[in-house]
Amino acid sequence: MITLNINGLNVSVEEGTTVLEAARFIGFPIPTLCHMDGLSPYGACRVCLVEIGKEPRTKLVSSCTYPAEEGLVVRTASSRVVRTRRMVIELLLASCPQSKVIQDLASSHGVNKQRFKQEHDDCILCGLCVRMCSEQMMAKAIGFSGRGNERALGTPFNVKSEACRQCGGCIYVCPACQLRCSYTEKDSPVCGGCQNLPPPCLEKEKFDDMMCFMSPCVACEIAPK
Amino acid sequence: MARFGSIEELHGFREMLRDNPQGKRPRIVVCAGTACQASSSSDIIRIAKKHIIEENLFDRISIGITGCHGFCEMGPFVLTLPQNAFYAQVKLEDVPRIIGAVLAGAYVEDLLYRDPKTGEVYRSRDDIPFFKNQRRSILGLNQHVDPIRINDYVAAMGYQALELALGRKDPAWVVGQVKRSGLRGRGGAGFLTGAKWELLARANGSSGKYLVCNADEGDPGAYMDRSILEGNPHSIIEGMTIGAYGTGATEGVVYVRNEYPLAIKHLTIALRQARDMGLLGENILGTGFSFDVSVVRGAGAFVCGEETALMRSIEGRTGEPRQRPPFPIEKGINGRPTSINNVETWANVPFIFRQGADEFARVGTPGNSGTKIFSLVGKIRNTGLVEVPMGVTIRRIVYDIGGGPSGKARIKAVQTGGPSGGCIPAEKFDLAIDYDSLAKAGSIMGSGGMIVMDENTCMVDVARYYMNFLRKESCGKCFTCRKGTQRMYELLDDITKGRGRLEDLDLLKELAVAVKESTMCGLGQTAANPVLSTLKYFRHEYERHIVDKRCDALVCKELTGAACQRTCPLGTEAWRYVAHIRRGEYDQAYRVIREANPFPSVCARVCNHPCESRCKAGDGGNQPVAIRALKRFVVDRVDPSVYKASKAAKSTPPPPRVAIVGAGPAGLAAAHYLSLQGYPSTVFESEDRPGGMLWGGIPEYRLPRETLRKEIDAVVDGNVTLECKKRLGVDMTIGGLFAEGFKAVFLALGAHKSRRLGLEGEDVAGVHPSMQFLKAYNLRGESLAQGHVGVVGGGNSAVDAARLALRQKGVKSVTIFYRRTREEMPAFEEEIEEALHEGVRLEVLVAPTRILSKSGKLTGVELLKNELGPLDASGRRAPVPVAGSEHVVELDTLIVGIGEEPTVECVTGENGTSVGLVDGNRVKTDCRTMSTSMPGVFAGGDVETGPKTVVDAIAAGKKAAAIIGRYLRGEALEQPAVPALPRIYVEPMPSGDGDAMDLPRVVPATLKVEARRSCMAEVEGVVSETDAVREASRCLRCDLEFTQPKPAAVKESA
Repeated sequence: MITLNINGLNVSVEEGTTVLEAARFIGFPIPTLCHMDGLSPYGACRVCLVEIGKEPRTKLVSSCTYPAEEGLVVRTASSRVVRTRRMVIELLLASCPQSKVIQDLASSHGVNKQRFKQEHDDCILCGLCVRMCSEQMMAKAIGFSGRGNERALGTPFNVKSEACRQCGGCIYVCPACQLRCSYTEKDSPVCGGCQNLPPPCLEKEKFDDMMCFMSPCVACEIAPK
Repeated sequence: MARFGSIEELHGFREMLRDNPQGKRPRIVVCAGTACQASSSSDIIRIAKKHIIEENLFDRISIGITGCHGFCEMGPFVLTLPQNAFYAQVKLEDVPRIIGAVLAGAYVEDLLYRDPKTGEVYRSRDDIPFFKNQRRSILGLNQHVDPIRINDYVAAMGYQALELALGRKDPAWVVGQVKRSGLRGRGGAGFLTGAKWELLARANGSSGKYLVCNADEGDPGAYMDRSILEGNPHSIIEGMTIGAYGTGATEGVVYVRNEYPLAIKHLTIALRQARDMGLLGENILGTGFSFDVSVVRGAGAFVCGEETALMRSIEGRTGEPRQRPPFPIEKGINGRPTSINNVETWANVPFIFRQGADEFARVGTPGNSGTKIFSLVGKIRNTGLVEVPMGVTIRRIVYDIGGGPSGKARIKAVQTGGPSGGCIPAEKFDLAIDYDSLAKAGSIMGSGGMIVMDENTCMVDVARYYMNFLRKESCGKCFTCRKGTQRMYELLDDITKGRGRLEDLDLLKELAVAVKESTMCGLGQTAANPVLSTLKYFRHEYERHIVDKRCDALVCKELTGAACQRTCPLGTEAWRYVAHIRRGEYDQAYRVIREANPFPSVCARVCNHPCESRCKAGDGGNQPVAIRALKRFVVDRVDPSVYKASKAAKSTPPPPRVAIVGAGPAGLAAAHYLSLQGYPSTVFESEDRPGGMLWGGIPEYRLPRETLRKEIDAVVDGNVTLECKKRLGVDMTIGGLFAEGFKAVFLALGAHKSRRLGLEGEDVAGVHPSMQFLKAYNLRGESLAQGHVGVVGGGNSAVDAARLALRQKGVKSVTIFYRRTREEMPAFEEEIEEALHEGVRLEVLVAPTRILSKSGKLTGVELLKNELGPLDASGRRAPVPVAGSEHVVELDTLIVGIGEEPTVECVTGENGTSVGLVDGNRVKTDCRTMSTSMPGVFAGGDVETGPKTVVDAIAAGKKAAAIIGRYLRGEALEQPAVPALPRIYVEPMPSGDGDAMDLPRVVPATLKVEARRSCMAEVEGVVSETDAVREASRCLRCDLEFTQPKPAAVKESA
């Protein structure tokens, strides 16, 4: 068993557990887009960032891919984590505003503007569908092609795949195309239609390493200082 | 080839090779690296071989074909041994002469390397500054080794390190030595190689361990790894074999990018040779130790240089980084422990064993031992590979080895570490180069690319270039790396195209930090560095792009338009009138000139023509279009009446009046443009006639008085009242002007006070401040110079004074004394040339220390010699006095022209109505609105900026008129900047026969030197019509990119 410290609490987990699993195990919520139980960790969406290490040498890593280590100190909702996560969400909104999953993430993190050139992509290349297809459906019908800004998802050479059984697993897991947010308009990428009012939080500054168990607990980070 | 069965056999073989008398023959060495091959060194080799065969010289000379020596700027070159003479940029016909000289033990003096700056010729290669200041422990081997001949390498003590390592029979000792040497990974991150090896040695290797040589060198501008692999592949093989012995690795892989065909070829040959000789494979040198190396070619993805991506690529999968831990040292290729080191790291390993670890650690600085190879490229004189000890300063590399800037522009930054690195500004060139200090400065060592940038490099464009590279080369897996680099590119692209907003800079920084924090691999984590470091050190350039819509380097096309127009302070559309001249439409050309400039005939003679400085026709050593000569052609030919100014209609009630103090180019230009807006003005002038410096400062032989008078008269129209002999502070005050009913005041007093030397006796008869000397003649016709004349200073007023003195009666000689060198004289180059031409003598690197006089009259001056001291922050050598070098020069007249400054006492003299000053000698203004500390009072020209050029003063007056007009109308003084791009289409003439670019630049005829003495006739003449039209045809028409109508889509006929 490995013991690590998450938000000031010690937790013991089995070797091979990821930080995300350990945090969820004791009830700290961490948002993810490209992670799904049953599929291999991938680390593409960068939403699940956590801060690891001791001051002053801390760094941000994706909790879904980072293995739990003995004595590791993890903070899942430090101001650095939240600040960076909000920029990730802003980038997501700029690319894919029609996804309800992303709109909900934005409203729960108080991201209420998007300052980049608006795009309307259907895909954030999280790779859930690729892993679903190969790891659960054993089809390997789809995959990535290209790199950088030309990276794209599709069947080999973008022709109809013999290997695809049209099971729909890929659509089922997709965070971008399954649940559509129909309220966004071209000039206002932030929907806010299902906005949850953040829960109140008490005396956060006294417990910088900690977070409350209400999901999402970012209210104190969002509040203007 | 014999296969060595033991260490002793190899040792004996080497001794035999080294004793071979053939090796003692004279030798010529030619580089056949990729860079030299591009400059046709292969032909040099072919000719050399042919000559040797034809002359039957086999027994007397040998020829060495080697890899890169580093001095790629000078390729193709020939090095001769034993003289060690370096013949640079050799031509085919030179080869026989060089061979002849080698055989005779002589030199071909005219072909030897000559320093392009100092002209010094070097006989020994090791004295050339480029080589002298290096420490070439790795690269130095290249010149001895033909990469495809293993015997060369063995004879150059190759595989001796392997003997030592295997001979000890103690792998732990091998790792210990590397650890002791303090070698840090040369790939960029600087992890201790010894520590890495120790981890690998300890790792569980039951199913095998890997050693990898990372030769996926993808940074733009970096090529040292290629040069090592091409020039000395055996050093890599030897290094890896030693590493394998120390760590227990069983397999080696060289991952080399497929873009390096020569490196792959040489490496493959070397591997085969090493295997054949028993230096690789099973039972190496009979010691029972086995290790082999294979080559994997990279398919061109930059990200595959990242170690986890590289391993996946070797495994045959998509090159995508993965999360560390687990580190490759635990779980690498195919799940086995793997140690990945850079090419240069491996090349250092044999060197450590040959030299001894302690000896190796002695070079460099503590914690950063050994040497590092940098590829020095960009705007630098000596492009090439440079190997220096760690801890050397950037200044030393750039100036001592690199030879400073390649052109006239000042070096402003160095970019290190490729796309992941950052820019280091010139102020920080004293930074010692090692892993830690570079990281502290916001850059990284990276693999050692060093791109030198000068003032003609736009830092925003540099950041944009790298971001474009990275957005294409990111693997695309991490969302923030893929989208973050794309978004940063979009923001930067907007800024370079003039669409940026100031808040974009905050967003850019916020995004850059987020990308740095949130990505998985090294590529993403460092991708923001180009943005962050340029934002940190060159934020003013970003702001200039965004606020002023200007790219001072003239790189960003959408902000520059045509360089001639952009560099003209008045924004004159030089391209447009040149195009009209080409078409023979001289009246139109005049209108274009006159519209932008109320003093066209003045500027056609005395302008310092900044338009020509960046003319595209002048790129690459060609001559820019003679724009000023063309302007002169037009203004001398066309009657000014063809231009009809469009004036504002007379308004009722009468418009407010403006007071302008100073009737120089700034004041008169302001009056003119205010008049066009309908505002009457009164111009006050302290001298007896208008013109300011145009009359008082510029001598008649440059600017004929009749021309000047006509142009001034044309400007003083019905709206302009002129009041001469009115001095501010004496005849009027600023407050008084407002009381008289003026609604605004424009101060354009100029800079008429000569600086003093600060020496005793400066007031004796015969010593004249240069302005006083010039005005005495120009305004009053008094000749103050006589006998032997000395002029102190190197600026325009000094040179003008010298040339004017030469024309005065009773002058025997004129000498200019200047404290720096001629290159650094601030006067216009063409003026200096003419002065020397006319017989003015120039004595540089001297400074006056004492003025000698006898009964109140000057007799001479004592001068102290200067020598050039160390480089200062601007990259110039400061003059340092040489003690005891005083000497006396006898003089009858001494003119002091060491600079002018404005007279500002008059604007500060009264209580409560003074305007604020800068440095006590200039009027303080807001640079965008020209307003002073007093409302309604504006200032421009030399009184605002200090001494500048005529065209700058006219531009200041023009700008002031626009601002004062807005002030009088109650509008906002500042207006959003709009880039001045060419708008009007002038149809180009069909190009005639022959390439216009081959034509030489036209040079106007000048007055014969003999005729110039004691004569004020104009020196420069006008070009003929044929010449003018021909010169105009040399224009490359940069404007067409913006003005040419899009060709209508051709419809296909049905």
